[in-house]
Amino acid sequence: MNDSRSAPRLEARLKVTGQARYSAETQIPGLLHAALVTAPIARGRVTDIDASRAERLPGFVAIMTHENAAPLARAAAVLHLQGPEVRFAGEPVAVVIARSPIAARRAAAAVDVVYEAEPAATDFDLFLGEAYAPRTAGRTPTDSLRGDPEDALARARVSLDLRYETAANNHHPMEPQSVIADWGPDLLTVYTTTQAVFAHRAAIAGAFGLEVEKVRVVCEYLGGGFGAKGGAWYPGMILGIQLARHVGAPVRLELTRAQMFTLVGRRQETRQHLRLGADGDGRLTAIALDTVAPTSTYAEYADAVATTARMMYACPNVATTHRLVRLNAPQPNPMRAPGEGPGSFALESAMDELAHELQLDPLELRLRNFAVRDQNADLSWSSNGLRECYQVGAEAFGWAGRPLAPGALRDGRRTLGWGMAAVCYPVYSMASAASVALESDGGIVVRCGTQDMGTGTITVLGQLAAAILDVPLARVRVEIGDTLLPEGPYSGGSIATASFTPAVEAAARDLRTRLITLASTDPASSLLGEAQPDLVLEDGHVRSLTGNRSESLAALAGRAAPGGLEAFAQTTPDPDRPVSAFGFGAVFAEVAVDPELGEVRLKRLTAAYAAGRILNPLLARSQYVGGLIGGIGMALHEATVDDKASGRVLGDNLADYLIPVQADMPAFDVHMIHEDDPHLPGGIKGIGMLGTVGTAGAIANAVFHATGVRIRRLPIRIEDCIVQA
Amino acid sequence: MTDPSREPRALTLRVNGVDHSLAAEPCATLLDVLRDGLGLTGTKKGCDMGACGACTVLVDDRRINACLTLAAMQEGREIVTIEGLADGEDLHPMQQAFIAHDALQCGYCTPGQILSAVGLLAEGRAVDLAQVAEQMSGNLCRCGAHPNILAAIAEVAGLRA
Ligand code: FES
Ligand code: FES
Repeated sequence: MNDSRSAPRLEARLKVTGQARYSAETQIPGLLHAALVTAPIARGRVTDIDASRAERLPGFVAIMTHENAAPLARAAAVLHLQGPEVRFAGEPVAVVIARSPIAARRAAAAVDVVYEAEPAATDFDLFLGEAYAPRTAGRTPTDSLRGDPEDALARARVSLDLRYETAANNHHPMEPQSVIADWGPDLLTVYTTTQAVFAHRAAIAGAFGLEVEKVRVVCEYLGGGFGAKGGAWYPGMILGIQLARHVGAPVRLELTRAQMFTLVGRRQETRQHLRLGADGDGRLTAIALDTVAPTSTYAEYADAVATTARMMYACPNVATTHRLVRLNAPQPNPMRAPGEGPGSFALESAMDELAHELQLDPLELRLRNFAVRDQNADLSWSSNGLRECYQVGAEAFGWAGRPLAPGALRDGRRTLGWGMAAVCYPVYSMASAASVALESDGGIVVRCGTQDMGTGTITVLGQLAAAILDVPLARVRVEIGDTLLPEGPYSGGSIATASFTPAVEAAARDLRTRLITLASTDPASSLLGEAQPDLVLEDGHVRSLTGNRSESLAALAGRAAPGGLEAFAQTTPDPDRPVSAFGFGAVFAEVAVDPELGEVRLKRLTAAYAAGRILNPLLARSQYVGGLIGGIGMALHEATVDDKASGRVLGDNLADYLIPVQADMPAFDVHMIHEDDPHLPGGIKGIGMLGTVGTAGAIANAVFHATGVRIRRLPIRIEDCIVQA
Repeated sequence: MTDPSREPRALTLRVNGVDHSLAAEPCATLLDVLRDGLGLTGTKKGCDMGACGACTVLVDDRRINACLTLAAMQEGREIVTIEGLADGEDLHPMQQAFIAHDALQCGYCTPGQILSAVGLLAEGRAVDLAQVAEQMSGNLCRCGAHPNILAAIAEVAGLRA
């Protein structure tokens, strides 16, 4: 890409040479190692723990159980080892600390635990009758109603009554969660895998009753997260910190891959009942969505599954509800495109079903239902590029050549299918601080206590400052991932960039002003006495527009600011933005299905997105493709399956839990539509989630177009696609 | 309780051209020894059971999952980890191509991807893109860097992307 904004990742060299250190790799002298003992039962209590065999093993240091763990303040999070109860299979009941990871694992296996099992709620279907209304659905209200959907459905020319299901998924960042805690005399230092160093610091301080200033959280490099290293990691992280206090030495706790199925959240499965009503031209007259999902017995979380049903299309009569069922199962939490991912699968499939019913092109149906404003929020859009996305994506894909009837396209023995879906994700942002400094050697340092999950945060932070100060990116150093830095945002929900951009830009502008002031007031400066409006920053110099005099930043700093010069800014989003802000997109899929074997091969994914200002097109494309691949996983591969009898996860490893691999990849064609959104600070919408929304729907619609078989359950399996001869 | 099968034993491993003598339990995997014994943390642990490829290293130029082999079995062999791939300051062409194609996001799968790619080229298996895609499918990437990874390998292998 020859866009000058497409800078390679600043930390790429460290990552390709193995020099980038991730949390578990922090080197601390005298580090001890922990291994968990987890419950095989889904509900009950621990009645006895016998560690005598473990204690005799070499390297054993200590064991912590509910009997000897110090109680913690409950406020922060659901915590482990605070009592004998077992609430889900896989819950930790003891932790062994030893001199090496091998010794810890071996000793943990030698701990004998006696349980008293109680009847557990482990089968979602059996408990659907006990569904209740949660307090919220994600960040949205539990239920919504506008107009009179029941009446409209009764009068609709065409109506559909459909049931969709999506599976539970696990995030599975490639880097397992880990924590190393080091209790110093005045400061607790925690090296951990976190999507939010500041939020995690607050959780730690709360649990241990410490002032936040007495806790430092560090996460320099983060090996992915996708939601599993946010609040879902609090219990494990706090347990690790407690271990270090228990033995009075630094301890490392690292989850095993199997434990990542139960201890760090999951995307909840859904059962969605969706009814659509439309007139004879396909204009929606009613949408009714009722969705049910499981939550645990000890915490409550509901994905905002109905978001797209509420606002994606113009419709006067819409009712949505979210309900939860309590199970003895691991607590669900947000995973990449939470809610919008599963919700858009149902809505976009149903739109395809409606188009088929009316013998309309699915894209034409969507255009007829374009929402000119957000009817759910009753606000106009801050900007909405959905129609351009439809147009650009359809043209690039060749959508106009799509035959209406399923099964009409062939490639040898395989049938081909084309499907599409509309995409949206809300714009979120939070308060952020940042600083930008000139160092005494003329280099620039950006400091922001946020994280880089692989999204490109380090690079765009540097680019934002470099652009305003007009210095080469190579002269900018970026510091993130540490609570000693200015407080930066959470990495997740596509929040980070929208939040830190205004702060970094404000700090950089302030520094620019101060540099210009310095250049015009420093007695030794060749620009002394120049009018400040006549001075600009250019290629590492302060330069006069009226003559050709200039001062290099290095010389200026060395002379007039030997300690460096730092500008700090803090920005807060406007709580009552008078517009509704979403990123939009359209995704088009081509599949080839072997009618006898049922094998689905995804051949092409074309997507177009309008999501505000793009800071680095190279990295943005990678983010979109990553999101699309997450959507492929939802559509065709991923399912976390709990055994209905025992409540234990079946196949809790990466050989049985399928994620898309290199051989599954289609050809990707991603288009980014330029969009200036004057309503949003910095013009940023956030892009990390968009790629995952809609993708499963587009793929399922393509499978229908190939086979004539409508699959309403994710993931789509081979046996679903065998076309009966 | 002493159990000879658990007593640490002296061991010499040749890693990145340097001999390292250390003591390790007979059951220690190469991955354990590289990361926790030698501090060579560029080799990543994603699953510890042979299912993700994050721990891929080269042993006598062949790809191997370091979590699936005992350190004791690799004595006398030439082990190359990501730390030893570059020639001083000069990156290996595969490392350069990964940077140029943005073939990494979080970077956690990256050392394994790069060594796997270098290994499959050395094994003469990169005959076409479909083969490369198949051969690289044991290296999981959760961020979704796949097409860029394939493009990087294609460039180094001289295949058309
Ligand atoms: S850590 Fe060795 S294959 Fe996953
Ligand atoms: S780059 Fe993150 S797992 Fe591959």
